Amino acid sequence: MSTCVELKQLQFTWPGAQLPLLSIPELTINRGERVLLRGASGSGKSTLLGLIAGIHTSGPGQVKVLGEDLAGLSQHRRDRLRANDIGYIFQQFNLLPYLSAMANVTLACQFAPARRQRLAQQSISAEAENLLTRLGLTAAQQRQPAHQLSVGQQQRVAAARALLGSPALIIADEPTSALDQAHRDDFIQLLFEACDAQQTTLLFVTHDATLAPLFPRAIELSDINHGGGGRDV
Amino acid sequence: MFKLAIASLWNRRGSVWLTILAIAVSTLLLLGVERIRVQTQANFSNTISGTDLIVGARTGSTELLLSSVFHIGNLSNTLSWQSYEHLRELPGVTWHIPMAMGDSVHGFPVIATTDALFERFKYGNKRPLQFAAGGSFQQHDELTIAVLGAEAASERQLQVNDDLIVAHGTGEISFSQHDAHPFRVVGVLKRTGTPIDRGVFIPLEAQGLVHGEYLPADEHDDHAGEDHQHDRHEHEAHQEPPVYTLSAVLLGLENPALALRLQRTINTYRGEALSAIMPGLALQNFWRTLSLFERALVAISVLVVITGLLGMLTTLLASLRERRREMAVLRSIGAGPITILGLLVVEAFVVTLVGVMLGTVGLYSVLIFGAELLQQQLGIHVSASVLTLRELYLLLAILLAATVLSLFPAWRAYRNALADGLTVKL
Repeated sequence: MSTCVELKQLQFTWPGAQLPLLSIPELTINRGERVLLRGASGSGKSTLLGLIAGIHTSGPGQVKVLGEDLAGLSQHRRDRLRANDIGYIFQQFNLLPYLSAMANVTLACQFAPARRQRLAQQSISAEAENLLTRLGLTAAQQRQPAHQLSVGQQQRVAAARALLGSPALIIADEPTSALDQAHRDDFIQLLFEACDAQQTTLLFVTHDATLAPLFPRAIELSDINHGGGGRDV
Repeated sequence: MFKLAIASLWNRRGSVWLTILAIAVSTLLLLGVERIRVQTQANFSNTISGTDLIVGARTGSTELLLSSVFHIGNLSNTLSWQSYEHLRELPGVTWHIPMAMGDSVHGFPVIATTDALFERFKYGNKRPLQFAAGGSFQQHDELTIAVLGAEAASERQLQVNDDLIVAHGTGEISFSQHDAHPFRVVGVLKRTGTPIDRGVFIPLEAQGLVHGEYLPADEHDDHAGEDHQHDRHEHEAHQEPPVYTLSAVLLGLENPALALRLQRTINTYRGEALSAIMPGLALQNFWRTLSLFERALVAISVLVVITGLLGMLTTLLASLRERRREMAVLRSIGAGPITILGLLVVEAFVVTLVGVMLGTVGLYSVLIFGAELLQQQLGIHVSASVLTLRELYLLLAILLAATVLSLFPAWRAYRNALADGLTVKL
């Protein structure tokens, strides 16, 4: 039980496209690892994340998350797996603007019974408050509607939501591209600390090569991907 | 999910309120039309009961019905007093109410009749007429007396012993008034919810008097000498008739089953061309002719409801575009496409439910606070009774239609959710 994400002979072609966008012979990410995946825009990063998160599907045996072959799971099981075991952070607009920061975080447990279970000993809102405080949001900010928060604060709320209930894997899709450098490094540091505390695997995707030194392991997507059907995005 | 839908709706409350308002107004209209339709029909069929035949001069059944029961329109033909005498003697006839019409008091129809009307006429579920004040003609010796329907009395603010002037013709304003003969009010009837309420009832003899057809017995003693103490209701047959012509006669039979046979007898009466109609049947036929109008009204209100629902559909569809991000976020935390679909259906349901409830509340406020106005301005009496089963079905139908309609944007959102996944380009 040491691998978290396992790709084998992954082939992915968008419907209607001539060439496969992704063709990855092998990629393994172990539990607890902090991995940076770098790729240029349109190189298939987001598609790869969609495959790992179980939004898109590929052939049998090609994508395994936490030992589960995603192609063998129903849509509902994949949604459930994502809810329970994967925290997802977008580039921006992570939050439902009309809910408070707090409500946005606790929303993570709405579709995730396993997360609720893992939080069994403490209340969901207490843990959410805990996480938000650790990520540097004041109590007043936690009550504010999400759209009143700054972009940096919003990203931290998104991180808290992803972390709540200790999922096995956090996928961060360019979470820092909307932040300036000071906030960016700050954010990554906070993310590292939180992941360490929960022993969560982190898959951090970016186009920004300058982040690579911060990570123990950095992968260049073009090195592992032999597919050439990149789209213009 | 429910809470999420509410929060999302609250976020867009501006446009949501408008949608709710549109649905509320269309619900109000649909319920209102339904209520007026049902109550009008009930009022309509309640106008007369217990009368087996209505007889008039040869005319259409609707015309005879309208003039004799609803006091609408003028019968150009009349039946003679001799025919009335003949009708009274027909086998099986237990009671008879003669009616002569044509005059009015400020637009209220004047019906010249006998006390038989107050004793025999029935409406609704065989309910007799009752006096709210005063009494019938028979306690009074004078001729120029009148009994008023409830509405006629209240609208003209007349009470027992007040005087009123009868005008010739049925218009509200008349230039030829029988003001040589002011009438004294001797009775006011209780409200019935039928055209009786608008009636001004006078004795037949009074009608004859103001039209110069009848002279009281004591004024022409020499011809009718033997009948000095004129008890007019018992002896009018032997005297000079109080009026020469009548508009209609209502007949009650020993056995209602005889009506059909008697109808044929009357229709083939040789003395004069007469028409006899059975009121129940005639009312039904008449209502059938009105039902086209009634159906058009229902159709229009249904169309308004559909417009309201389409408005909701449009807002939902338009909101999908700006909410793709919201959907993607929900997807990322594990919401399945079915959840997204459900979210939109719940949203439409909540909006419609609030709209329908608001519309119902609106209906009752109109019924409670506007009843007076409706009655005065339109003459429509609609009571604020509890929702009927049929009205509940209508409300459920609106909710169901909205839910089914919402499947369309919900399906679009479902497809979007599958296609977009977690990557939404803004």
